[in-house]
Amino acid sequence: MSETEIRNYTIARGFQPRTLERWLSWEPADRDALAELAQNLKIGENHLRDLMDWLEEISLRDRLRIHDLLRSKAIAHIETDPRLGRTDKLKRIKEQVRRLRFPRLAETEDAIRNEIQALKLASEIRLSVPPGLEEGSLRVEFKATSHDQLKRMVTQLNDAAQKDSVREIFELLAGRRTTRKQS
Amino acid sequence: MIPFQPEKVIVERGSELSTIFRNLRRNLPQVPFEFVEDLSTPSESGSTLSDPFGVAKRKLYLTKHKGEFLKKCPGSAGQVCCNYFVINFASNCPMDCSYCYLQEYLADNQAFKVFSNVGDLIDEADRTLKKHRGVFFRIGTGEITDSLALEPYTGTVGEMIPYFAEQPNVLLELKTKSDCVESLLNLDPKGRIVVAWSMNPQSVIDWDEHGTASFGERLNAARRCQDAGYRLGFHFDPIIEYPGWETDYQAMIEEIFSTIDWRRLAWLSLGVLRNTPGLKRTMRERFPKTRLLTGEQVLCPDGKFRYFHPLRVAMYRKMIHWIRRPAPTVKIYLCMESREVWQQVFGFAPACEKELGNQMAPGGDS
Repeated sequence: MSETEIRNYTIARGFQPRTLERWLSWEPADRDALAELAQNLKIGENHLRDLMDWLEEISLRDRLRIHDLLRSKAIAHIETDPRLGRTDKLKRIKEQVRRLRFPRLAETEDAIRNEIQALKLASEIRLSVPPGLEEGSLRVEFKATSHDQLKRMVTQLNDAAQKDSVREIFELLAGRRTTRKQS
Repeated sequence: MIPFQPEKVIVERGSELSTIFRNLRRNLPQVPFEFVEDLSTPSESGSTLSDPFGVAKRKLYLTKHKGEFLKKCPGSAGQVCCNYFVINFASNCPMDCSYCYLQEYLADNQAFKVFSNVGDLIDEADRTLKKHRGVFFRIGTGEITDSLALEPYTGTVGEMIPYFAEQPNVLLELKTKSDCVESLLNLDPKGRIVVAWSMNPQSVIDWDEHGTASFGERLNAARRCQDAGYRLGFHFDPIIEYPGWETDYQAMIEEIFSTIDWRRLAWLSLGVLRNTPGLKRTMRERFPKTRLLTGEQVLCPDGKFRYFHPLRVAMYRKMIHWIRRPAPTVKIYLCMESREVWQQVFGFAPACEKELGNQMAPGGDS
């Protein structure tokens, strides 16, 4: 995509001049790789800015070139997956880049998710953690349609609370247990 | 530390009779002085310069402060507050840390101003302190400038210390990244003045604390102040996480506590690197290669990026472990952190800001 095409793309979508200026300040190969992705997925300004932030920061930290990141197998695989619509592709590519940008956070989130799954709780009981793990808390939600069901769920929750998995979740949230990448 | 040498001092009419003006004249003999009637629009904002904030640091404006000097520290929304008050005798700073929040906070009023009416400052403080003798005040002067970096040129703090040293209900904290303590050493702080250093390992200073004193210079200045009878404080803030940070910070803490007497420390604070989306944007423009942009920071409910919760709780716990080994009962607090973080780090969170503020009073519980 030429500089003019990038300009036209940002004008057509009402991007702020600062976003265009930043995009054009990239190395041509990086600039073009992002342009290709943006055009294919019709990326709006907020999503594009998130991607720019993360890609620049990964590149600075890991000394990788942005166009290599964007043309990696993992991203190409999502971009060309015929089963996915445009919105899902963008969502998954953003998640892939986010995981590269925040590897230890992603690993901690995965570890917590695995511990929650290991509890095999009834579908009416939901354990979740806040985005970015902020507040370091575990949210517990459940709903019941009868007194018996409520009693069963409370018992199940009580049993789950005794398990190592729950203890592990709190250890992870409080930074007392580190995942492989953090240690 | 790089000596401060502004390109010009611009003096507003009415300030040329002040002690601060005389001090500047004497201590900056090579610098041209310009006299103007009114400094109402000295800002570089809206400028077409590529780095207006950096440029603003090179011109010093001497003017009278027209508003209130003494204010409550704004803290950060929803975070545990330490009940701190601030006095601003200058605005902006000769140093240029890449993470400095003034880059955003002063974006619309970047002019580097020193206030000439120290007498008004003292009168105002006197009225408040006398009116509330039952209230203990912790007052800092390092909110929007460095407390001591300008002292060799302005002598402002030297004017303030004799007054504050006599007040029974105050601790005045002078927070700095400089080693400009010479003029303090012959004054008697009478237990009411805390000189506090923002401390980071030398590698962080080299990368991101431009124009500041080295770690060794800061520590040496702290030792001299302690020898002169001052109480000390240390602010490990911002703590930066990078590969090998543990080794650097642990070594720094060991060196501090092998140099100073921790039993005469007023307090220590801990705070991880935090920035807003706007500040991050400015950092990206002014310091594009800084590794501060690459930490695993997430946006918190108060609108600031911090290292994600479990990571920063683990960082605080490590720092406290390294501090408690040589200094088991030193007062430590967290700056701009949530109750949840306090709870997970210390096992408790202060019930209210007064509780934390009172703990910092002389003789308060640690």
